Amino acid sequence: MVYIAAWDDFVEKSVQLFRADPEKTRYAMKYRHCDGKLVLKVTDDKEVKLLWFLISYQCIKFKTDQAQDAKKMEKFNNIFFTLMARGPEGFFF
Amino acid sequence: MVISQLSVNVDYVRLQPDPFLNELTSMFERTTEKGSVWVTLKHSSNKSKVQRNKMKTAGEKVEYRCLIRATDGKKTISTLVGPKDHQRFQSSYATILKARMTALKKRERKDKRKATDSSDKKQVPKKRSSAAKKISN
Repeated sequence: MVYIAAWDDFVEKSVQLFRADPEKTRYAMKYRHCDGKLVLKVTDDKEVKLLWFLISYQCIKFKTDQAQDAKKMEKFNNIFFTLMARGPEGFFF
Repeated sequence: MVISQLSVNVDYVRLQPDPFLNELTSMFERTTEKGSVWVTLKHSSNKSKVQRNKMKTAGEKVEYRCLIRATDGKKTISTLVGPKDHQRFQSSYATILKARMTALKKRERKDKRKATDSSDKKQVPKKRSSAAKKISN
């Protein structure tokens, strides 16, 4: 559960995660007006064993307080709406 | 299985896309002073895994849609958007986000605005004089 700093990296990894398991992957957006913060998260709840006692989950996050990133998010939303609404045949675009 | 499905339906009130967007707007309005809004997108067939597997073995095509859920921590709503209406939905969704996400920081724009404001004030008498000149001409 690490925040990814580079936007392009975040987009690429998110789409990869979705393609790997479309039925389990979800994309969540959290907006907090009073703090002016926006968090995007993509996860498929898959367990990743870091060590024999330490379990993490496959999760990609992006955090921002910049208005310019909201514009980027609009494009990202479009990608995910298209991916999720069109079904497996719409995956390649 | 049945109980869990029912509870899901009760938790997330299923709405048509347009009422969903209206309710989402009021969620943003309610959380301006405190609280957050969550919006989740998921690839969904609106059927259980058992049903899906049955359809797959019967050779039927499973229809997928985009399930959108929203919550402000108190109220939860959801809607389903299919391939035909997702473009219309996403453009109205983008408009709502643009109108409501006003607390995010703008890059260096504030300084520029101040600069233009002050220069506007200086220009006001000039404009008047130029207008006066035009009239006199």
